[in-house]
Amino acid sequence: MTTTERHPTRGAKAAAKQVSPSTAPKKRKRISTAEKKRRRAGWLMITPSVIHVGLWTLIPVIATFYLSFTDYGIFAAPKWIWFDNYVEMFNDAVFMQSIGNTIWYTFWTVPVSMAVAVVVAVLLNQGLKLQKFYRTAFFLPQVTATVAIAMVWLWIFNPQYGLLNAMLETIGLPGQAWLVDPKWALPAVILVGAWQGIGIKMLIYIAALQNIDESLYEAASLDGASSIRKFFSITVPMLKPATFFVFIISIIGAFQVFDQIYVLTDGGPANATTMMTYEVYRSAFQEFRMGMASAQSVVLFAFLLFVTLISRRVTKEED
Amino acid sequence: MEVKSQIRRTASVAMVALLGLGIAACTTGEADTNLNPDEVSGEISLLTPIFEGSPGQDLLEDELLPQFYEEYPNVTVNVDYTTYGNLNEKLTTAVVSGLVPDVMLMGVGWIEAFADKGVLADLGELGLSEDTLKESYTAEIVEAGMWDGNVYAVPIMLDTRFGVARMDILKEAGYDSPPSSWEELIEIAEATTVRSGNGSLERAGFDMMSLDARQAFETMLFSAGGELFNEDATAPAFNSDEGVAALGLMADMVNKYKVEDIGFTSTDDIVNPLINGRAAMGIAHNNLWTQAMEADPTVLDNLEPFVIQGESSGMFFGGTLATVANNSKNPQAARALLEFLSSPDAALAANEQRGNVPALTELLDSDYVQSNRFVQFAMENLDVAQREGGPSQWLEVRGDFAPAVQGALLGQKTPQEALDDLAALVQTAIDR
Repeated sequence: MTTTERHPTRGAKAAAKQVSPSTAPKKRKRISTAEKKRRRAGWLMITPSVIHVGLWTLIPVIATFYLSFTDYGIFAAPKWIWFDNYVEMFNDAVFMQSIGNTIWYTFWTVPVSMAVAVVVAVLLNQGLKLQKFYRTAFFLPQVTATVAIAMVWLWIFNPQYGLLNAMLETIGLPGQAWLVDPKWALPAVILVGAWQGIGIKMLIYIAALQNIDESLYEAASLDGASSIRKFFSITVPMLKPATFFVFIISIIGAFQVFDQIYVLTDGGPANATTMMTYEVYRSAFQEFRMGMASAQSVVLFAFLLFVTLISRRVTKEED
Repeated sequence: MEVKSQIRRTASVAMVALLGLGIAACTTGEADTNLNPDEVSGEISLLTPIFEGSPGQDLLEDELLPQFYEEYPNVTVNVDYTTYGNLNEKLTTAVVSGLVPDVMLMGVGWIEAFADKGVLADLGELGLSEDTLKESYTAEIVEAGMWDGNVYAVPIMLDTRFGVARMDILKEAGYDSPPSSWEELIEIAEATTVRSGNGSLERAGFDMMSLDARQAFETMLFSAGGELFNEDATAPAFNSDEGVAALGLMADMVNKYKVEDIGFTSTDDIVNPLINGRAAMGIAHNNLWTQAMEADPTVLDNLEPFVIQGESSGMFFGGTLATVANNSKNPQAARALLEFLSSPDAALAANEQRGNVPALTELLDSDYVQSNRFVQFAMENLDVAQREGGPSQWLEVRGDFAPAVQGALLGQKTPQEALDDLAALVQTAIDR
């Protein structure tokens, strides 16, 4: 008995395959030597990056997912515990508080600094005197180490000798214990975050503004549009791609805030300023619970993925 | 100057030799406890949180290590400087990567965790015994370097916390001596607190906020007669009546007696409030004396240390101890460095540089201790001092203390609730 007889359907398909011109094997496209060389050069050039991403991104990401299901305390081999870390995490009041704080921090730092950045960018795109100086001044916080910035803000927020309370006193307002009063600690940290984030956003907006066709403004002027009308009807819509980009990187940056918390408040007082990244750090390096820290990192990653996908969806729908 | 340095170097070498002999004397019989300097060789690493900054680095590299190399010419030491704030991360990553430094200086309360996990070498195998150490150190300090009945660390210096009063302020208020009970503490604190017409605090009667909240609580807990853990360190004991009373007193100082406001002082303050007169009394670190000498020597005569007295005597000590890695490739060289760093001369120099309390009781007579009233006071009262730590999970849970204490001081929770919640967290970690 032949194979076709034993399996009639397979045999028919095989026969059809043989006769059908559409399924006949295609002739391989001949690649020139120059093309081969070009492709090889391309692979050669991206190899370091691929190795880098594989070694320092892909493997750690996979390891983090794996470790999130384990009890791993560094000193002994990881023990598989299924979802225990996740259950414990979502029953931990401090971690839940850190999620709330992170969302609150993001809510205030991202829109506020974006709004300020776009206004500053528009102002600094008008050909003002000392324009370069102002651009540098606004961008300076971005290139200064956060720890150094936080040290300066520690002094600004100092309840006794700080600049902020001194300024408030001059206008008759009472000073506050900014970083040690739970009522004010998170707003104070938010203020630093929003201030520090303006520079990079401004830079991206300036680049985007310079790509807007001047003829649009000229046409609007001929139609008698005011500056405010031009801003909302031309500038804002034309900045949409930049806005989306700034929004995404700002959210990611806000969710990853760590160093300023570490220096300014250490998560306190009474966990008032702890963030998700700070809890990851605390679990990993203070409590030696790498499994828990990995689970917290996975949740942080899920948050970022969710926000990014939502943002993409919204932008796509608007387009 | 050169002569002094020469004398110091000679004395140091002699001290190291004496310590070596002392260790040799307490040999277990199996371990080779005699180090022959010519036979000890190798490259070793030292992780240290106590020689950070230029003065500390200069002391270690320009003075101490040359003395060590003179004795052990075939040993090379690579130093990894850090601070206590970053030591935990350094050690954790070192353990994970398998590159554990040969010699590590750690804090009191840290030994349990790393000894339990097998990171540290049992110094008994190198010839050090509990009994011999107790001849040179206070028993409680030796126990800070022990785990499961074995010696894993040799103490170098102590950080103590106790009460300090500004006697010029107290005298103005009609008091001739620091408080000798909690009742007096409250009375004097209230009498010395100063508020302006609009109610804002100008001088705290009793400052607890310029010190880490955990350490302030521990000092008060010990003065209440409480303990952090039960005897075998298997359960928290700080949420006892004594613990609740201690945290209750701290919360009352802020909310009821109003002798300090939240945010009036902080651990970030550059000048301690006792030095610039913003506090009449407070809980302070022993290096306040050194700080005052640098900031305002005129205030030294007015600073009076006291043990906070409740049902018991409240004095807390932490400190720095020298350990050797269990997997050191050059254990003899590592042991030589450990002995050197904990020898009287090197330890004294390190203590002097940081304004700390030498762990060796024989240094009580040194010029440094005799000229530093706070260090002298601490050494004279070490018998009542208690340390933190206990279970091997201490490093995992100690970070939870400050938020719990702050929560009670801020009135977010009652002292009982704050300590019960904290105890539950601690118990979970112990049971894990």
